[in-house]
Amino acid sequence: MTQTQTALEMPTVGDFARTFRRIQSEIHKAIIGHEQAVEQLLSALFAGGHVLIEGVPGTGKTTLVKTLGLALNLSFNRIQFTVDLMPADITGTRVIVAGEDGRREFSFQPGPAFCHILLGDEINRATPKTQSALLEAMAELQVTVSGTTYPLRPPYFVMATLNPIEMEGTYPLPEAQLDRFLFKVRLAYPEEDNLVRIITSTTGAEEAKIAPVFHADEAPERVEALKKLVREVIAAPAMEQYAARIVRATQPDHSRYVGDSVKSLHDEMVNKYVMFGSSPRGAQALVLGAKVRALLDGRANIAREDVEAVAVSALAHRIMLNYAAHSDGIEAAQIVERVLKSVRAARS
Amino acid sequence: MPPSVHGPRAQEKLDVILGQVTGLRSRLNWLAAQHVIYLLFAIGITTAVVFFAGAVLLTPMQFLVVGIVTAIAGLYALVLTLRSGWRRRSNAARAAALADDRAGLKGRLTTIVQTVSFGRRSVLWSYLVEDALSHREEFVPRQIERRRIARSWWAPVAAMALATVLIPLARSHHKLKMAAAAQGGDSDMTVDLDDLHLRPAEPGDKTGLQVRADSATMARLREKMAREGEAATRGDGGKFSGLLNRARNLADSVQSKLRGDSNQKQRLTLKLADNDAGLDPSNPRGPDLNRNTRHGDQAGQFKRDNPVDDEATLPPIDDSLREPDAEPSAGENGDAAAESGARGSTLNGANDPSHNGPDDDVARGDQSYNGGAVHGIGADPDSLFGEASKSRMSTEGFEIAIEARPVDQGIKGAGQAYLPPKVHTPLNTHQEPDEPIARAAVPPDDRTTIERVFER
Repeated sequence: MTQTQTALEMPTVGDFARTFRRIQSEIHKAIIGHEQAVEQLLSALFAGGHVLIEGVPGTGKTTLVKTLGLALNLSFNRIQFTVDLMPADITGTRVIVAGEDGRREFSFQPGPAFCHILLGDEINRATPKTQSALLEAMAELQVTVSGTTYPLRPPYFVMATLNPIEMEGTYPLPEAQLDRFLFKVRLAYPEEDNLVRIITSTTGAEEAKIAPVFHADEAPERVEALKKLVREVIAAPAMEQYAARIVRATQPDHSRYVGDSVKSLHDEMVNKYVMFGSSPRGAQALVLGAKVRALLDGRANIAREDVEAVAVSALAHRIMLNYAAHSDGIEAAQIVERVLKSVRAARS
Repeated sequence: MPPSVHGPRAQEKLDVILGQVTGLRSRLNWLAAQHVIYLLFAIGITTAVVFFAGAVLLTPMQFLVVGIVTAIAGLYALVLTLRSGWRRRSNAARAAALADDRAGLKGRLTTIVQTVSFGRRSVLWSYLVEDALSHREEFVPRQIERRRIARSWWAPVAAMALATVLIPLARSHHKLKMAAAAQGGDSDMTVDLDDLHLRPAEPGDKTGLQVRADSATMARLREKMAREGEAATRGDGGKFSGLLNRARNLADSVQSKLRGDSNQKQRLTLKLADNDAGLDPSNPRGPDLNRNTRHGDQAGQFKRDNPVDDEATLPPIDDSLREPDAEPSAGENGDAAAESGARGSTLNGANDPSHNGPDDDVARGDQSYNGGAVHGIGADPDSLFGEASKSRMSTEGFEIAIEARPVDQGIKGAGQAYLPPKVHTPLNTHQEPDEPIARAAVPPDDRTTIERVFER
């Protein structure tokens, strides 16, 4: 990517890959390890989705999001979700202000949702009412307050974090809200080598300096152009069918919501442990994530490998497991792996 | 990174890619066609070999069973092969997918082929074409599919090998069998009449058979033939056994054709014995009517199995070889009976109207078995136009059965009697009206006679 490139010019496949790798390298100045998580995070950004980050405390969730904002040179806000957080604390509210002529009138005061990158820290600590305040912003890129709709400026990227080990006083995200996150990225506990590097880089006097990849005035347009390029990647009908087949295979055989089901694809594990499989948004997430991966690989078409590579992060959080799965210690990612295996077998 | 391409050059590049995909598709389809052809050859050869070996080595019934099973298996294999070939056929998308998989092109060709088919274009289309073209050396048809001959070539070769081994073995076995039979040489056999099972011969089965027996035994033979014919006419298991016989004879004739046997069969002399001593020749029917006949005894079949060929057909009887010591009547009628037996136990002694000897009714069977009445036993064309039946023809008269009961018994339970409606039909205009018959005058000479009659 050259600095002389105008915002209206469509970037090439090579531009995309170079920009992507550059952002990655800037993020990794502050984030040690988590290569796959960072790639998934950026993939979700350029695919036009949002990300749910799950990880134990201290794994760098907040640092990751802040670094991303710095690298992209986009506006960044952070909301710490608590039980007493109200929807207006996110979307904004109308307040009485004094005008120039001294008259008092209601004026809309935008909330922290009005930014390019929003970090919802520990989103499961807020009440469902407050969590739902993000739904409209995430899905429709707009906020409605007191009957007035306020558009959000693209690019709009929501990253919410979840703490999986401290569940008291939390409100698990409703399925509808979970479904609106393109990927769920899991930040694993760092390995020993990485932990040493983390100690070294964070306890010294010198802080990591993140160089923005874009100029502040053109960053939104540049990110939008890259997002548009992702949409231009060609998905052959066979690949779309493959993604659809995977998503349908996550539905259990006995699901009364699915109707006619491809029984030959159903894995016994799915029937046993899944209460409800992925929604159609899961198929969209598969294809969009695959498109980003194709561009990173220098291709203008998606392949089965791309679809399979993003399957776990795109589908795992959309699969509702039943009690048997929880009691047997089965995770949704295992279900997705089994589904991929059965679909592969059916194809061959 | 390949540069973008536009315009006619992009179309040329696309044509190059699609041309290679088409070449690969042709190669794959040719292999699929070869696969079908090879397997069809293999099925055909194997089936023929099994048929031939069965014809040579097995008895007719065994051959029948094996033949049916082989035919069914062959048809099933044929269907499976055609279905397999149909599934192996390739279209452009399938060929492209194969090339993608084998050359590691990550769906480039599949995307191009399907995008061309569906007409979806993107700003990245030119890039995709250029990108795929840069890998064209990797999806040259002969590299993607190196084979020129389908893997199933071994099937016809294996079938040929099987034929090469099995056919000479079967032939040698057949020759050995024939040689052993030729050494045995004796074409005469003696059969007890009770062990003789009569069954109809195939039409045109002109076998040579000479039956030698004393007159009483010949009479009993005719009686037996009549009974067998009657049983067949009544349908006492005749349908099934007839069907079985037909199937067996068919298998026999197929076996003969497959073996290449000549039609000239060995002459057979069947010597009939009768274990029932004390038979009265003048009344041969009497004590024998209730004798049990052992049906189904293959050894005692009237059409004796050829020692060389199982159940071979035999040439017709040569009249010159008749036993000179046979009784004239028995000889004459026995000839008729034997001939009828030789022609398949058709009981068609009536074919020759000149046979009017004392036992002619036996040789011809009862009147009810004459002519066409008994032709169904063997369906022998020679017997179809026998002497006309003496029974009344349907046009000579008729009988109407009327259900009636005496009036004394009342009409209870008989239902309401049908009363025809009164219909007044106008008379024909030319019809003369009914006139009362005028009483004729009685001649005086007759008056006395009339009065006497009425007095009685």
